[in-house]
Amino acid sequence: MKKELKFKVNGQPYEIFVKPKTLLVEVLRDLVGLTGTKRGCSSSSCGACTVMLDGMAVKSCSVLALQANGTEVVTVEGLAKGNELSPLQRAFLDHGSYQCGFCTPGMLMSSTALLTENPRPTKLEIKEGIDGNICRCTGYNAIVRAVTAVVKGEYKEAK
Amino acid sequence: MSDYSVIGKRVHNIDGTEKVTGSGKYTFDVVLPNMLYGKILRSPHPHAKILKIDTRRAKRLVGVKAVVTGKDTLGRKQGIWRRFPELCDEEILCRAKVRYIGDAVAAVAAIDEDTAEEALDLIDVEYEPLPAVFDPMDAIKEDAPQIHEGVELNININRHIEWGDVDEAFEKCDHIREDKFKCSSQAHVCMETHDAVASFGHNGKLEVWTSSQSSYYIQRLYADMLDMNESDIRVTNRHTGGGFGSKFELDSAQFCAAILSQKLCQPVKIVLTREEEFTATKRRTPMYYFLKLGAKKDGTMLAKEVRVITEGGAYTAMGATALYLTGFFSSFPYKYPNYRYDGYRVYTNTATTSAMRGFGAPQSTFVGESQIDMMAEDLGIDPVEIRRKNGMTPNYEVPGQAFIQSCGLHQCLDKIEEHIEKRGKLPPNHGIGVSAYGFMSGGIFNWFNTPYAFSAAVVRINIDGKVDVYTGTCDMGQGSNTTLAMICAEELGVRLEDVRMFSGDTGICPPDLGAWGSRQTLMGGNAVKMAAAECKQQLIEFTAAKMGVNIVYDLDIKDRWVHLVDRPERGVSYFDIVKEAIRGKDGVAIMGRGHYTPHRKGMISPAYSFGVQAAEVEVDPETGRYKLVNVTTAHESGTVINPVGIEGQLEGAIMMAGGYGFCEDQPMDEGKILNPSIADYKLIRSLDMPETDILEIDTYEPEGPFGAKEAGEGLTNPTAGAIGNAVYKAVGVRIYDLPITPEKVFKALKEKEKQQKKAKK
Amino acid sequence: MSYQCPVCNKVSNKSALDLARHMIGRGDKVHRDWINSKGFKYSELLALQFSSFGGEGFKSLAEVLEKEAKVKD
Ligand code: FES
Ligand code: FES
Ligand SMILES: [Zn+2]
Repeated sequence: MKKELKFKVNGQPYEIFVKPKTLLVEVLRDLVGLTGTKRGCSSSSCGACTVMLDGMAVKSCSVLALQANGTEVVTVEGLAKGNELSPLQRAFLDHGSYQCGFCTPGMLMSSTALLTENPRPTKLEIKEGIDGNICRCTGYNAIVRAVTAVVKGEYKEAK
Repeated sequence: MSDYSVIGKRVHNIDGTEKVTGSGKYTFDVVLPNMLYGKILRSPHPHAKILKIDTRRAKRLVGVKAVVTGKDTLGRKQGIWRRFPELCDEEILCRAKVRYIGDAVAAVAAIDEDTAEEALDLIDVEYEPLPAVFDPMDAIKEDAPQIHEGVELNININRHIEWGDVDEAFEKCDHIREDKFKCSSQAHVCMETHDAVASFGHNGKLEVWTSSQSSYYIQRLYADMLDMNESDIRVTNRHTGGGFGSKFELDSAQFCAAILSQKLCQPVKIVLTREEEFTATKRRTPMYYFLKLGAKKDGTMLAKEVRVITEGGAYTAMGATALYLTGFFSSFPYKYPNYRYDGYRVYTNTATTSAMRGFGAPQSTFVGESQIDMMAEDLGIDPVEIRRKNGMTPNYEVPGQAFIQSCGLHQCLDKIEEHIEKRGKLPPNHGIGVSAYGFMSGGIFNWFNTPYAFSAAVVRINIDGKVDVYTGTCDMGQGSNTTLAMICAEELGVRLEDVRMFSGDTGICPPDLGAWGSRQTLMGGNAVKMAAAECKQQLIEFTAAKMGVNIVYDLDIKDRWVHLVDRPERGVSYFDIVKEAIRGKDGVAIMGRGHYTPHRKGMISPAYSFGVQAAEVEVDPETGRYKLVNVTTAHESGTVINPVGIEGQLEGAIMMAGGYGFCEDQPMDEGKILNPSIADYKLIRSLDMPETDILEIDTYEPEGPFGAKEAGEGLTNPTAGAIGNAVYKAVGVRIYDLPITPEKVFKALKEKEKQQKKAKK
Repeated sequence: MSYQCPVCNKVSNKSALDLARHMIGRGDKVHRDWINSKGFKYSELLALQFSSFGGEGFKSLAEVLEKEAKVKD
């Protein structure tokens, strides 16, 4: 029996009918059509599917779509403002914080959520912030450097 | 060096913005009109006869469009060693027999994944379980079950490498060590699992989107398995979410999707689950290693004898190459005057073992670098010193095997020695371990039997001066497209943003063997450079004629400026010249072709890179737990084309190779992998990741484009050995089998305590 | 002095031990059958060869070859 899901994704309101068991990640990728959010394990252990739900980082493979009812979701597609990349996105580019890029949307969402919650994290807190995200390519340090650069104010928010 | 205008600069990867915005399309994201979803049924038995497969119930399920089994295939067997038919031994969809837990027996296409999954439960397979064997030492026994028809003792292949007179040399040694080691398996854990969208049209042509390291291999293997012309098959790879050696053989997702699509003439998408990825794709080869090393008192190593038996798993795959390379790289990076290697690869009823980043060399480097430290200690010589004494030097010939031109090993050793000295006296329970390595820049062997050049590229200059590069190389995240675009821009004298890459699409790109064995920078790079040079030549000829310059002058292009070499201010804009040149050629775009095939470059590779790594650990002697504190690597890879790329390769390699030494493992019970999930398969996460420092050494490789060579795969070799040596330095226990877990360290510490107590009494 | 493989006629001009290495190394059915016909178990020789140094697995076979495969130059 499908139920109605009303929520916002990247500021845009949606009303969609979904099965009770449908996962948030499935709605985002298959119904809303935002394929930036990836899946690496579907069991809440790799972080590739991380999105922000009301400002908090969640693994969208372990959230039922209907649990997102009434919330605001931000995905990687929602980070840039128009044609301006977010500070973290620009820092990721400069620091080579991605290789194959499959973990990158999740990494960006985890670190964006971290900075929303704690704008001045220590290095250890940054590492903790992305510890739920696996990256098989970069070895994490380039990601930590990018986040650190943003914390230091080297990248200004686009107006 | 620094008069390069593109090479060596810190740039964004050319696909960077797609990756940080989530707009890059992976196979995982591909959706086609009328597309179906596939799932694969796999054997629960490690070894069994297939008596009967009844698909009727599954076919009746609403939403199921097709169910296929081995009977729907031509019954051919694939193998990457196409020149050796007996080594092509994998049906992919098994017809009569399954050989490991995970072997595919049937596949379903349905309107969605859930329906396909449900249908799998409705397929009835009757098996007759057969006795199985899991350890190679058991598999070679006379009474062991035979896994492949006609292959007695399950010996898949053996390899022998020898030079000098080993037996005689051992007699001249002052000290000889014999040691045994065991190297574990490792999973690639690409973040994008194996996947494919196959679309067979009514016109008899097949199009495939797939996550792969070599579109050309996949195309050719499809052609073999489906009995098609390779030109009727188009394999495309846009972005690939990691490869690490796991994605250049035809896999079950690719093959089953094609078979299903062929039946239905509808696109079929198959994405392996993470569990399938762990249990039913290939993995790093576990090896039993027996080493004998002989040296003079002064540390000169005279002879080495190596014996290896590897757990092959169910099929040959790339395992034969891993067997060969582990034998060859067991001699690296030292000048053994006498050397002998015997390696055996044995079939077992376990998941197939094959290529993984390092390709046999991480194993040989772990065991070799552990043993050389023990030898140094026996002789009372410093570990760096013994490596210096025996290390390879430029223009060295590995007798009868390979010729090494550039080699910066000694500079690397100096840098690491400095680093250790600078670190000074270490806190208690800290230790620094050293490990040296070398690696190849692309393999020379052609067991795949390609009739084409090893690498090829086409460069086209459009009317607006923008440049398109077509290459069969594959960017799986290692950044080869950026590196090749930089090479093209430098050669042609334009900027990086002028270059657009088209890669890994067999429909439009010239064939290239793809991304494995660290071949893209050197081989793909040489091909691109040659193609770019051909374009440049055409522009320069045109400019010379147009400017009417004296014939003794040379012209060049730099940063979009075509000019006289001796008087750079005299020139014309590159863009203007392109426009005019194309007009002058009756509107034909300017094109160049390039290719590279190594001839007379030894048996392994045209070039080798070297490095030395120092790992610092802190061990808790109470528990055996330890922390990776810092990993510093001195490294040479010829001219550095893309420095950001190299840093990334280095740090990423430490995550993977450190994991191999530190925690990654695939324990099994009766052929069943016990930890097939990311939650249970322990790998290095951000909190475990050590500080990493890189000390780049300048070298120049004459065989490489602009002097460049391998830069990413070799870095997987040294870390496990460095960790082992560091743990020994810290607390005095030596671990002989990977991974070096806290439990093993703890046990060894207890054992050592016992021995010491005994000695006191 | 040289030694000739009784199966494939490969000649080693080093030693019987070297020829034994060849025969075990080849390890195909014909070579195995010949070795087994001399009362050895190929697989046991092989296992011995893996786990010991100095060619232990080759030695006993080499003794036989010393007698049977020697050819005068
Ligand atoms: S896909 Fe959600 S955590 Fe891995
Ligand atoms: S960039 Fe490939 S997994 Fe992180
Ligand atoms: Zn013979």
